Amino acid sequence: MSALETEVLIVGAGVLGAATARELSRYKVDVTVVEKNVDVGWGITKANVGVVCQGRDTLEFRPEYHRTRLLWRALPLMEPLCRELDVPFKRVGAYLMIRDQVLKEKLDKLARRTESLGLGSDRYYPYPELKEREPFISPEIKGGLHDPEIAVVHPVYLTQALMENAVANGVRLMLETEVEGIEAGHTEFRVRTSRGEIRARYVINAAGEWVDRIAAMVNADDFVLFPIKGYVGVLDRNCAELAGSLLAVLPEEPGDMNIVVPTVEGNLLFGIQLQINRRHDRSTTDRMARKALENARRIIPEISEKDIINSFCGYLMFRNFEIGWHECEVAMSARVPRFINMTIGYPGVSASPGAALEVVEILEKDGLKLVPNPRFNPYRKDIPDFSMLSEKERKALIKKDPRYGHIVCRCETVTEGEIVEAIRRGATTLDGVKFRVRPGTGRCQGGFCGPRVARILARELGIPLTEVTKAGGASRQVPLRTKQLLEEGGGDG
Amino acid sequence: MASRVDVAVIGAGPAGLAAAVAARERGAERVVIIERAEQLGGLLPQCIHNGFGLLYFKRDMTGPEYEKAFIDMARSRGVEAMLEAMVIDLDAERGITAVSRRHGYMKIKPGSVVLAMGCRERARGALGIPGTRPAGVMTAGTCQRFVNIEGYMPGSRYVILGSGDIGMIMARRLTLEGAKVEAVVEIMPWPGGLIRNEVQCLHDFGIPLLLEHTVTFIHGEERVEGVTVAKVDAERRPVPGSDRFLPCDCLLLSAGLIPENELSCRAGVEIDPVTGGPVVDQNRQTSVPGVFAGGNVVQVHDLVDWVSWEAEAAGRSAAAYADKGRLKRADGVRVLPGKNIRYVVPQFISGKDDVTLHMRVTRPGLKATVKVGGVMWKRYRTVRPSEMVILEVKGQALREAGVKGELAVDCEIRGGD
Ligand SMILES: Cc1cc2nc3c(=O)[nH]c(=O)nc-3n(C[C@H](O)[C@H](O)[C@H](O)COP(=O)(O)OP(=O)(O)OC[C@H]3O[C@@H](n4cnc5c(N)ncnc54)[C@H](O)[C@@H]3O)c2cc1C
Repeated sequence: MSALETEVLIVGAGVLGAATARELSRYKVDVTVVEKNVDVGWGITKANVGVVCQGRDTLEFRPEYHRTRLLWRALPLMEPLCRELDVPFKRVGAYLMIRDQVLKEKLDKLARRTESLGLGSDRYYPYPELKEREPFISPEIKGGLHDPEIAVVHPVYLTQALMENAVANGVRLMLETEVEGIEAGHTEFRVRTSRGEIRARYVINAAGEWVDRIAAMVNADDFVLFPIKGYVGVLDRNCAELAGSLLAVLPEEPGDMNIVVPTVEGNLLFGIQLQINRRHDRSTTDRMARKALENARRIIPEISEKDIINSFCGYLMFRNFEIGWHECEVAMSARVPRFINMTIGYPGVSASPGAALEVVEILEKDGLKLVPNPRFNPYRKDIPDFSMLSEKERKALIKKDPRYGHIVCRCETVTEGEIVEAIRRGATTLDGVKFRVRPGTGRCQGGFCGPRVARILARELGIPLTEVTKAGGASRQVPLRTKQLLEEGGGDG
Repeated sequence: MASRVDVAVIGAGPAGLAAAVAARERGAERVVIIERAEQLGGLLPQCIHNGFGLLYFKRDMTGPEYEKAFIDMARSRGVEAMLEAMVIDLDAERGITAVSRRHGYMKIKPGSVVLAMGCRERARGALGIPGTRPAGVMTAGTCQRFVNIEGYMPGSRYVILGSGDIGMIMARRLTLEGAKVEAVVEIMPWPGGLIRNEVQCLHDFGIPLLLEHTVTFIHGEERVEGVTVAKVDAERRPVPGSDRFLPCDCLLLSAGLIPENELSCRAGVEIDPVTGGPVVDQNRQTSVPGVFAGGNVVQVHDLVDWVSWEAEAAGRSAAAYADKGRLKRADGVRVLPGKNIRYVVPQFISGKDDVTLHMRVTRPGLKATVKVGGVMWKRYRTVRPSEMVILEVKGQALREAGVKGELAVDCEIRGGD
């Protein structure tokens, strides 16, 4: 197999890789993205709470931090970006709250800092006023600082949209392609992947959880990453009224991250229960679940265990523990020219547009010619969301394509039309469909629609039902036909 | 939908079919069932085992046979059905919005509505089982559909969490398919389903039933590789050190059914927090006038025969309402669950007419006496939470006792568990 040649190779189609690919697609540059999973955005980006912040919600927020600067660049870009890509973006605002009056001083300090940096003036609401705005908060709360800028996005939708748009503008995306080794030459890198060799002048290492391992392949690992596991719980839609904004408690101990967040789809998330962990293991534990629920109930006592419809864990990759949380690395390696590391511990989603710009600047500074791509089209249309349409729009859509009249997922009101369109745009698995148009994310968690979505996938992809997977690899949903075990004499029952 | 609909029935499971037939028999002109699935019958087509109709038809039938009997009745009574049609909204004035591939976007304003959406199974997220998120975790009902309708098997080695009826029936079904069922794991000290299923589906096939156990962890990256099972204490918390690993490639969940009441809530129907279904009066009228409910949407039944009977009452009342534009509420007396009673349906009765009370006990016991206020009492050799207690109360007895306001139902137990 002859090697594929490309100018810029991006390793990883998470939000950072995708944002960079999309930014580069503005120029006539040959860009290839390799992703080991069957779909984009399934790394850290998938297990995320989707908050678009600028860092003023934490005490470690300092202008001298790199991540703060990235956030500042990114923040004004996020809303227009979401508009161009037709991705839901909701400015929900946030209250950074305290339970102990002594901490009020810290909030004042934060507010002063925000103001002195020209980022606006955040108002403090004592409990009675706060309760008028967020009626379900616990009486334990003494008050909260309001940050009206905080918004939410769906990080996986954003990543898919960025990647879809990048591909439409000429970027090459290779899924199920894992980087196994890299050799740094004088003018190019020879990258060994599970699908053959790729030669690239530049490598952008956006491998998320594995950024340090990829960097180590060429000795560009001049930083240390600490994996911290974070647990998030998902509440049923019928709890939506419990919080209209992001409700966060000012950390009382380092490492605390107690928040309740509305999503763009109207669920509430709660967490983030943190724990130092060995990497890769994304299992949820009973202890984390209990602690997270307990903490959430200290923000909104009405949150109940029976409203939890799902939970997940992700990894926050922290760099340099000592100087506080959330450091990041977006820079060309000091040891290996043309090798750029890209990792952001906490607000990677928020910072992604800024980080992408910075990478493009690094490339330009290094001599990469950036000629505008005349075919660049910044716009992308989202898959129609039947559940959000008006009556008139629904009628028109069904008229155009009757498959939009066939509702497959009852909990989230997802139609066959949307599922077919998700598959057309690259979903090849049950999770791929789920993370595009939501069937199975509601309260029955796919009990009703699971078999039906599987059948549509099999039909559209032209594969037998036994080959339909949850998320690629060995995750086949129904690997056997009935009678097969009896014929094979398998099973010893 | 051009011409007027008298009674619209939402859902074509056993409840919906029985309600529609009863509404027609009671004189409703145009009765339309709206069903989101591809076929009539709800869950019955996938219940290919027997045990249906013993009470209603005095015959031992399979699910499809029971379903066919009702579909035939519906056909001969001229009930109309819309398939692959989903009701997406119901308002407080009985306005229905539905969509389907064939009919497009529909607005229907029927004379009355019967809610017959049935129930759904509790999913993994709601059970909060810790662990990884591999393929091979699904509800027993979804597995049943795959095996019995689609002809596919989700795995070859199973653990079943929860001893609900569908779980126990699937344990037998999968064994007959040549799969190995390692165990049925039940957190409570008693099985969640009928005794007859425990005997016929588990004992007869040598499948272990682990009472007071739960699954504490799901293992496996892409596919389930096994589960950790542990004993639980009186608070239902895992006992440290009691855990062991059971290898399997599939975990089925059969740990509770939840009445499906999203539409009821949209219409503003009052929901009983215990049953999870609408609060109904003796006629199965909900708190919203002209909206009736029957079957598992009201309370999770253990026998389909009772689903049919309950839904017939709802169907008859709906026809009467459609005819006159109103139906007097039969809610003179509120029935309250008392000692060792988890709930009673209907929540309101007239206090004058014959009525069938459906109830579930909180704890099992021997030599039980169920007392309906000072009106009547009945002895039971055993009572179990998994087996509904059904009691006929005569109107005359109620009238003679002069019942007013509230009526408490208690269950006294003299024997132990
Ligand atoms: C619980 C939780 C909540 C969070 N909430 C927020 C929030 O509210 N707001 C916010 O801004 N940030 C949040 N974050 C942080 C944010 O999720 C991350 O900063 C961001 O997603 C990182 O994106 P990424 O592209 O670097 O990583 P990833 O999404 O992990 O992308 C890396 C990709 O590289 C691929 N890859 C890895 N190795 C290889 C290889 N060898 N070959 C090919 N491909 C490879 C992976 O499969 C993956 O798809 C949260 C994080 C967690 C854990």
